[in-house]
Amino acid sequence: MKRADPRVRGLLERFGVPAEALAGLDVVEGQGAFFIGTREVMTFDAVRPLRRGIRFCRVFPRSVKPTTHAMQVLGRHATRNVIDLEREQVVGLINGEQVEVDAPAAVEDGYVLLRVDGFSAGVGLYRRPVLKTQLPRYRPVEE
Amino acid sequence: MTRRAAEFPGRFLDRCRAMVPDFEPFIDSMSRPPRRTVRVNTIKANREQVLGWLRNLDPQPLDWWENALALGQPGVGKRLEHFLGLVYVQEAASMVPPLVLGAEPGETVLDLCAAPGSKTTQLAAMMENTGLVVANDYSQARLRGLVGNVDRAGCLNVVITRMDGVALVRNWPGSCDRVLVDAPCTCEGTVRRSARVLDQWSLDAIARFSQLQKGLAVAGYHALKPGGTMVYSTCTLAPEENEEVVDYLARRFPEAELLPVELPGFRMRQPLAEWNGRRFATGVANCRRILPQDNDTEAFFLALIRRPIEAR
Ligand SMILES: C[S@@+](CC[C@H](N)C(=O)[O-])C[C@H]1O[C@@H](n2cnc3c(N)ncnc32)[C@H](O)[C@@H]1O
Repeated sequence: MKRADPRVRGLLERFGVPAEALAGLDVVEGQGAFFIGTREVMTFDAVRPLRRGIRFCRVFPRSVKPTTHAMQVLGRHATRNVIDLEREQVVGLINGEQVEVDAPAAVEDGYVLLRVDGFSAGVGLYRRPVLKTQLPRYRPVEE
Repeated sequence: MTRRAAEFPGRFLDRCRAMVPDFEPFIDSMSRPPRRTVRVNTIKANREQVLGWLRNLDPQPLDWWENALALGQPGVGKRLEHFLGLVYVQEAASMVPPLVLGAEPGETVLDLCAAPGSKTTQLAAMMENTGLVVANDYSQARLRGLVGNVDRAGCLNVVITRMDGVALVRNWPGSCDRVLVDAPCTCEGTVRRSARVLDQWSLDAIARFSQLQKGLAVAGYHALKPGGTMVYSTCTLAPEENEEVVDYLARRFPEAELLPVELPGFRMRQPLAEWNGRRFATGVANCRRILPQDNDTEAFFLALIRRPIEAR
């Protein structure tokens, strides 16, 4: 895992994701973002891909914003700044509502990982006690 | 025959009569809506967890694969477990080609015609989110769905490319442990979902797809490492798009081994030995047809092909 970039390292530390959780994975910058994928994904060079792995975070001039999709898969390793929610609260957040949460004292303001029944739902922005969604608008599929 | 089936093109029905052994149960199934099925996304959850989440949709495990579930109630696509990527809405027969291909962790896999990614995300999960799946498709519009599904399923082992499959392999020959060629086709087998697929149906369309499929099947074979295996599949019934394509491949690469297509607990039928007076190469007999009445699915066709370690 390439963690030399302090922005990527900062995000992993914020959520307390241990280095071992990312064994075999690599993070590469491009298209205004960092992408995360297996080493094989990041070194594939036979043709120019449209996309490698999953967008890990978007890069802004003075900050980075973790993506819901990356945190949905990496979030199970998170040990810090996690807020456990009820299913209805997550559904509310997806619908663009904000909710008030009395999170444990150890949870700091800023990006938090949202967890529901042990599954990572993505990322929210917490300013105690208000939790706002960073979850993408959801397009249900046809069955 | 049901009213719905009576509206299928007459020429299509005549061809089905000629190629399907028990026509009545076949056409009866073809005119009923398909069963709702989902696949457990094992990148994020296991079957027991998903059964718990889906409790009030009346989930029924299917006996030929632990991660295939039928649902008695509609609405899964709007639910939280779908948003979280714990389940993937996928027609049951569409789960079979990746299972027959059997990708393993750490391998290099090419999904030549990948969008919208049902089989890509299944392969990625079978590989436990390791190794490399190159998911390619030619259609810009369909790639958007592929990206969205790869994201939602949490696939860290997928590279997405947009190329003609033949051109892609020209740049990346002889490199893959496994290749899936889930070819563009006339989609006759999906009429249960929407009879509108038959609006575009014609013998000309079948002939055009057959040409395209032969090129893609040859490209898929070229992408294999020695010892690698490939599945050629379609969701159509037309022999020109199925047995004839495999026959073409077998004649073009006499060293290619046509392996038996099997999935324990899932009923499949013998392919046609001949069509329109033309006999197919003997190895074609190892291919299989999936008929809708046998497992309550859509119709499919599969071939399993191995490139030998050393050409004889
Ligand atoms: C049967 S669909 C694939 C379904 C997909 N495997 C899945 O399971 O979700 C066939 C795909 O082939 C793509 N296609 C058509 N011509 C192609 C070509 N020359 N090269 C690559 N892909 C092509 C179509 O855009 C279409 O998405």
